[in-house]
Amino acid sequence: MEAIIDALPYLWEGIKVTAYVFVFAIILGFIIGLIMALFRLSPIWILNWIAKIFIDAIRGTPILVQLFFFYFGLNSFDFISLDRETAGIITVAINAGAYFAEIIRAGIQSMDKGQTEAARSLGLSGTQNMRYIILPQAFRRMLPTFTNQAIISLKDTSLLSVIGIADLTQQGQVVIAATFKAFEIWLVVGVMYFIMIYLLSLLSSYLERRFELR
Amino acid sequence: MTMIEVKNLKKSFGELEVLKDISVDVKESEVVCVIGASGSGKSTFLRCLNRLEDITDGRVIIDGNDITDKKADINKIRQEVGMVFQQFNLFPHKTVMENIILAPMKARGVTKEAAKNKAKELLAKVGLSDKAESYPNSLSGGQKQRVAIARALAMNPKIMLFDEPTSALDPEMVGDVLEVMKQLAVEGMTMVVVTHEMGFAREVSDRVLFIDHGLIVEENEPNELFSNPKNDRTQSFLSKVL
Repeated sequence: MEAIIDALPYLWEGIKVTAYVFVFAIILGFIIGLIMALFRLSPIWILNWIAKIFIDAIRGTPILVQLFFFYFGLNSFDFISLDRETAGIITVAINAGAYFAEIIRAGIQSMDKGQTEAARSLGLSGTQNMRYIILPQAFRRMLPTFTNQAIISLKDTSLLSVIGIADLTQQGQVVIAATFKAFEIWLVVGVMYFIMIYLLSLLSSYLERRFELR
Repeated sequence: MTMIEVKNLKKSFGELEVLKDISVDVKESEVVCVIGASGSGKSTFLRCLNRLEDITDGRVIIDGNDITDKKADINKIRQEVGMVFQQFNLFPHKTVMENIILAPMKARGVTKEAAKNKAKELLAKVGLSDKAESYPNSLSGGQKQRVAIARALAMNPKIMLFDEPTSALDPEMVGDVLEVMKQLAVEGMTMVVVTHEMGFAREVSDRVLFIDHGLIVEENEPNELFSNPKNDRTQSFLSKVL
């Protein structure tokens, strides 16, 4: 018990890093996903093609390989110098982005065509239709699937400990190296991840209620 | 003055030729009803008038603007052509008021205040002043369709297109919607109405087009067309629906 209490300040530092990496990665990932989804649905073939390759490449390779590619691979060039956090955030963001892109594309495509027809018949442009009619409705529908992906991405951040980012997992390892209390510390680390994910799903159900489809 | 000019309009979906060769003019303030069996192409014809369907061949000129011209600013032209759909197509995430003011504000650049005033006026006109803050899903079908009409009218269109506006309604709701449309006709709106309501066509329209297999088989003033149809196919259709 004492070992756990002594470990808490260290683990708290790790939670802060995990939260920071996660928040940046998920926001960036969402933006990437939205852009790629719109590319994917674009009538311009080159954009379509870029999005398809991006999504297939990311979904078709393990996140650990992507992490090594961004951190060790890119840093092997003289003119590139990515620090750990940046490489980590980019990896999780791009990974989430590929999945978000497919979620958003499916959400947009599931919208009733009548909505677009009504908007366009009123003289709204294609962009205005997306912005005011399609996306607000599609996002509400996608919220549960978004949450799912956010939870996966949060768990993915634990892989970043491999390149030495001082996240919760890495801090756990550091504490264990000093105390040898593997059982207690990994249990506590697990509980801490669980609480973070639980809070995330609470936030999501709040948002779902707040933006309930009427 | 001619508001809608359709010249040799053809529309195909792949191999399927839905509209074969349609030419018709609609004058200002004229009310034209389009009747015909399902699959005859009457809805497709209507949807070509604001280019919701791409036009395969021929020309459609709306108030002097050729919408088949690639350089035509279709968003601008559509602002002058209101459309009412069978399935209403209200925006479910927006209140009735927001449904009505969105396009005037975003497409026409009207201020929110002016758009709201106009919306209140229109809601009073369709008898739904108390529903401004409701969401569409809390309304009955007839109420939804009247909101949809108000939404289209909020753009001050020169032409109104109706695509089977009462076909998805319970019978007791039909009357309210037809009443609003009749009022519009009396006020001099140019209207093209695809409908199965023969009573409405007979009473309100200036002219009826009977479309069959992608062609206008017969057109005439309603009394003449309904009482004394000349074409065999018109006769056979009317004998089934009247």
